[in-house]
Amino acid sequence: MTRRYFRIRIFSSQPVAGEQFALTLTASLQRYFGEVGLSKVNPKLIRFDAKKSEAIVGCQKGYEDQLQAALALINRIGGAEAAPLTLRLSGTIKGLRRRSQQPF
Amino acid sequence: MDLHVIPRLEDEESWPHTAQLLRVAGYDAVALTVPTGLVDERLSSLLRSFANTGLEVFTRADFACSRRQDLLKLLRRFRRRFDIISVKCLNHAIALVAARDRRVDVIFFDPHLRNLWFDHSIANVCRAAFEFNLRPLMDDASLLSKAMREMRIAEEHRLNIVLSSGCTSPAFVRTPTQLSAVGVMLGLETYHVRNMVSLIPWSILVKNVERRSDEYVEDGVQIVSKKSFHHD
Repeated sequence: MTRRYFRIRIFSSQPVAGEQFALTLTASLQRYFGEVGLSKVNPKLIRFDAKKSEAIVGCQKGYEDQLQAALALINRIGGAEAAPLTLRLSGTIKGLRRRSQQPF
Repeated sequence: MDLHVIPRLEDEESWPHTAQLLRVAGYDAVALTVPTGLVDERLSSLLRSFANTGLEVFTRADFACSRRQDLLKLLRRFRRRFDIISVKCLNHAIALVAARDRRVDVIFFDPHLRNLWFDHSIANVCRAAFEFNLRPLMDDASLLSKAMREMRIAEEHRLNIVLSSGCTSPAFVRTPTQLSAVGVMLGLETYHVRNMVSLIPWSILVKNVERRSDEYVEDGVQIVSKKSFHHD
């Protein structure tokens, strides 16, 4: 079960909680790809930094586009306008940290 | 590059924020939709606030007319003043005129108009690129099937497709990879989708910038100045 990891930065007018973000992402995947799609993508929130509003999200390899599309179609998190931008994609969490200018 | 950014003119504070976010998202160039009657001072301050973040900024006009004469009049008047001319099709007749006219770079449709969509009759005569904006899809998932159908038709006719965010505020800015992922979701091929957010919009711009230059005469014909002639 190979996985891929995304580094995501959330730009929002209000502070965002990790749980809120995870729920919104799951709802978006369910809305656009259905239950089967959601289980195939199998998203997991690995880490969430509330200070920087950054998250590391893992998904099944081969379903990166579905996760990115679901993220692109989110425009509200917890009632506030939000823009979750995918900054980097890597095969390992270590790789995400290494390549980012600011360590997570 | 993002070919369709619509800054809110009444909210000047959001301009630098949107520009910064576009930069973080990885864009090098953007086309800003501006009203045709915008005063020069305001236009230059808008362009400056985006250019200050390091973005290459181009101007774009979106025409939304319901009569053929009105559209042709606008095209005659404003073609040379904007880098990109696009037409928001409000009815089938206008869509046909806009698709045929070579002065039009991009056409797009309001997905909320139930009786109008991009069909084979428009695609058959289309010279312009067909643009898909992500913004309406964010609010209404039921538009997905219509978008998929339009994409299929555009691809069948081998038209140039452009994927844009159509963002009106920072909350609607998305990265090029996110836009291309939505393209894949709509049934387009991964290889082509990459071009739809980079090469195709860029080639439209380059062509138009060349057309607007003083040296341009017609396609493939340029005035070669004596100076550059001697250097060669």
